[in-house]
Amino acid sequence: MTEYFKPVTPIWCPGCGDFGILASLKKALSDLKIPPHETVVLGGIGCFGHIHNDLAVYGYHALHGRVLPTAMAVKLANPRLTVIAAGGDGDGYAIGGNHFLHALRRNPSIVYIVSNNGTYGLTKGQPSPTAQVGYEGTQETPFEPVLTALSMRSTTFIARGFSGNQVQLQMIFREALQHANSLRGMAFVDVLSPCVTYNDTYAEWRKATVDVNADAGYDVTNRTKAFQTVLGLLEAGKLPTGILYRGSGKSYEEMVLQGKEPMAYQNIQPAANVEMYRKLISRYK
Amino acid sequence: MTISVNEREAAVQAAKPVDEIKLMVGGQGGDGTLTVVNLLGRLFKELGLNTYDQRNVLSRIRGGHADGVIRASARDIFSVGDGIDVLLAFDEEAVETAKDLLSKECVIVYDSLHGPLRRELVPANSTVYSAKFSDLAGTELKNRLLKNTVSFAVLGRVLGVPDELAIKVVRARYERRGQEVLQPNLDALSLGFRVADDLGIRAHFGLPKGALGQRIQISGDDAIGMGFIAGGGRFYAGYPITPASEILEYLQANLPKFGGAAIQAEDEIAAINMALGASLAGVRAMVATSGPGQDLMTEGVGQAGMAELPLVIVEVQRSGPSTGMPTKHEQSDLNHVVFAGHGEFPRLVLAPANASDCFYMTVDALNLADKYQLPVFLLIDQAMGQNTQSVPEFDFSKVKVERGKLVDADSIRSIQVYKRYQITDDGVSPRTVPGVPDGLFQVTGNEHNEWGFVSVNPLNREAIVKKRMLKIDEAKKDMPKGTVFGDPSAELGFITYGSNYGPILEAMEILAKRGVNTKFLLIRSIFPLLEDEILPFLEGVKTAYVVECNLTGQLRGLIAKDMGHADKLVGINKYTGSPFRPSEIVNRVEGLQERSQFLGGVDHS
Repeated sequence: MTEYFKPVTPIWCPGCGDFGILASLKKALSDLKIPPHETVVLGGIGCFGHIHNDLAVYGYHALHGRVLPTAMAVKLANPRLTVIAAGGDGDGYAIGGNHFLHALRRNPSIVYIVSNNGTYGLTKGQPSPTAQVGYEGTQETPFEPVLTALSMRSTTFIARGFSGNQVQLQMIFREALQHANSLRGMAFVDVLSPCVTYNDTYAEWRKATVDVNADAGYDVTNRTKAFQTVLGLLEAGKLPTGILYRGSGKSYEEMVLQGKEPMAYQNIQPAANVEMYRKLISRYK
Repeated sequence: MTISVNEREAAVQAAKPVDEIKLMVGGQGGDGTLTVVNLLGRLFKELGLNTYDQRNVLSRIRGGHADGVIRASARDIFSVGDGIDVLLAFDEEAVETAKDLLSKECVIVYDSLHGPLRRELVPANSTVYSAKFSDLAGTELKNRLLKNTVSFAVLGRVLGVPDELAIKVVRARYERRGQEVLQPNLDALSLGFRVADDLGIRAHFGLPKGALGQRIQISGDDAIGMGFIAGGGRFYAGYPITPASEILEYLQANLPKFGGAAIQAEDEIAAINMALGASLAGVRAMVATSGPGQDLMTEGVGQAGMAELPLVIVEVQRSGPSTGMPTKHEQSDLNHVVFAGHGEFPRLVLAPANASDCFYMTVDALNLADKYQLPVFLLIDQAMGQNTQSVPEFDFSKVKVERGKLVDADSIRSIQVYKRYQITDDGVSPRTVPGVPDGLFQVTGNEHNEWGFVSVNPLNREAIVKKRMLKIDEAKKDMPKGTVFGDPSAELGFITYGSNYGPILEAMEILAKRGVNTKFLLIRSIFPLLEDEILPFLEGVKTAYVVECNLTGQLRGLIAKDMGHADKLVGINKYTGSPFRPSEIVNRVEGLQERSQFLGGVDHS
């Protein structure tokens, strides 16, 4: 058997919310018995983007903000892989904001985990697009990623976790992985994950989080009501968590590949397609 | 039927035998004017002649002046040449645009919609045939746009080709679109023949006999698209940009048939990162863009270099900087692709010289990218990307797919310890793709150790930088070679890349006839430059004219920097937005020869 790398210890500060995300993700992957060699974790730039180094899977460290287009193409190239994109709120909602919108629009069957702490921890505490008003003097209204995702009719799985609630987070990751791996589209999971060094929000978030799934009347398949409930809670100063929405729609692989053999496994030797080449050239004769 | 013939000047001459013919069609953009160029292309193809065409359009959907030039010859041609023998002008602006190019005894077919052609605009010995083509098409055929087909019939008579051939060509173009499209065009031809009869048109030219074998007419952009598919490329991502959009369109139309995907991304940044993702998963991937898009892709190029991911990037140069002149020709991004990106990382830059090269060198680029695990640029230009040219049919049996040190589920078993960035003699490490058991990797744009883990260790840094950069030298043996043309004993030489190739070959013929012997090194490997081909050439000449479409002489600068002999290098530069014509190169050489003692810098004339 070939020996390969051993995962390293995370670079995060003691008490960082990201430890909770890592532990929950490991548990979910192991619960679902997803083979490591068929799993690709792509990290963005930022503290959380280092997560691929801490897992025994195929790992990729993307350019800042570009984890979504990269991950989407990995999935298109080989839909049999479990593809997990991971990054922070600066990576995903600021520099990568355009890709976030287009990924939501395309619905590729990947899991996208954002560790959301309202700050750029790695560059020492500048406010991110989700920073609360007043943090480091910011006066800008925070970006609401789950509302944005809910507002796009192409989305099929929207969840929000809290790294202080691992039981819920494990459940969300299991559901998210199953959603993506059954090629139903993108599972978007925004995780409230406090930065203990620059924006320690543990105490207030613990108080503010509300598990929407705890209410038996909450219908995760009703986008209109989900939007209304989530917006209502946010306006009341609460943080809705749980699986916020689950729907069905065409996945990006379905649109693009139409069930063809994964590109990664195709025979690309020229001899395999001689007749097809003749057709290509005939137009120019 | 009343045909208003406003002018019938100059007696119709007997058909004159010619080696080649050059036609220009000009009018307003967006009204199908340029379909006449397509019809002429098909006509010459039927006659077994080579063609080269060039379109001059503005960056707008409709309106504004647009023209197309098509040249046909029994010889190989890779430029529009000099002069215009036949002008089809739908308005006076088209004549104004063409007037400096018109040959003395040219034929002008003029749409006198807005009045007769002012004779002083055109050469005294030219023949002008005028008719109100648009009005005729409007009244007789109820569709003014059929003026194009009406005038094509007239051109057929001027060129002395049988009417049946013009009919065959129109059928071939419109048959697939159904009778409701074909019939009006056939009626338009009949009308055109009648107009020609009324104008008393006889053949003006005796076209050469073509005896070409399997030729195809294709643009560089399409040839690259086809080369990508043939070379096993399966993932393409792009963002619409002139003059590279045709590659996106070609691959969107054709790649899915081969099980691949061509994605229109939200921007060029997404496009190149998508391609990196596909490459990471083991799929041959490519992006194509032009200067402004290349600006956005630059960070991704560095990522490919650092992460050691195979990637092909096509840069179809246009006039810059910034938005520049989007539809216009230039070669001012050479420095940009050779030096793009912060930090130091390996890349290769290949430069095809015609549509054949575009096909085969795209395959080369894919193989080099896989073999050396790095970004490979294909550097072309607007003229090569968009102009249609005749080349021998591509030979698919010459296409080889070589994937280098790619490790699969079987070959991983022979590796005891797998390190993605293992330091090796040639700088190339074994590469697995996700899905291979026990082949797990960490691939990253951070500086890393052999395992792919982040490392700032100074000893590791030195070793791993050297490993990556070693690949540039290693790749030299596999880079596409240049070609030397002309008189081996000549003391005057030309060096160039890309689409200047055609005009230079023709300039050399003209110069030779005037007693000036020259030779010519066409290079295909821009980075790294190959000393084996450049140094002997430079050592064998007193002066080497480095011909390029930019102001500052970017190729000349690169040669001077990496190969020396700066004192022998003289720039012949053009940056007006259109490619060189052979006569322009001849004039520059003759001008430079006269004041040769003052040479050395950029020629700003």
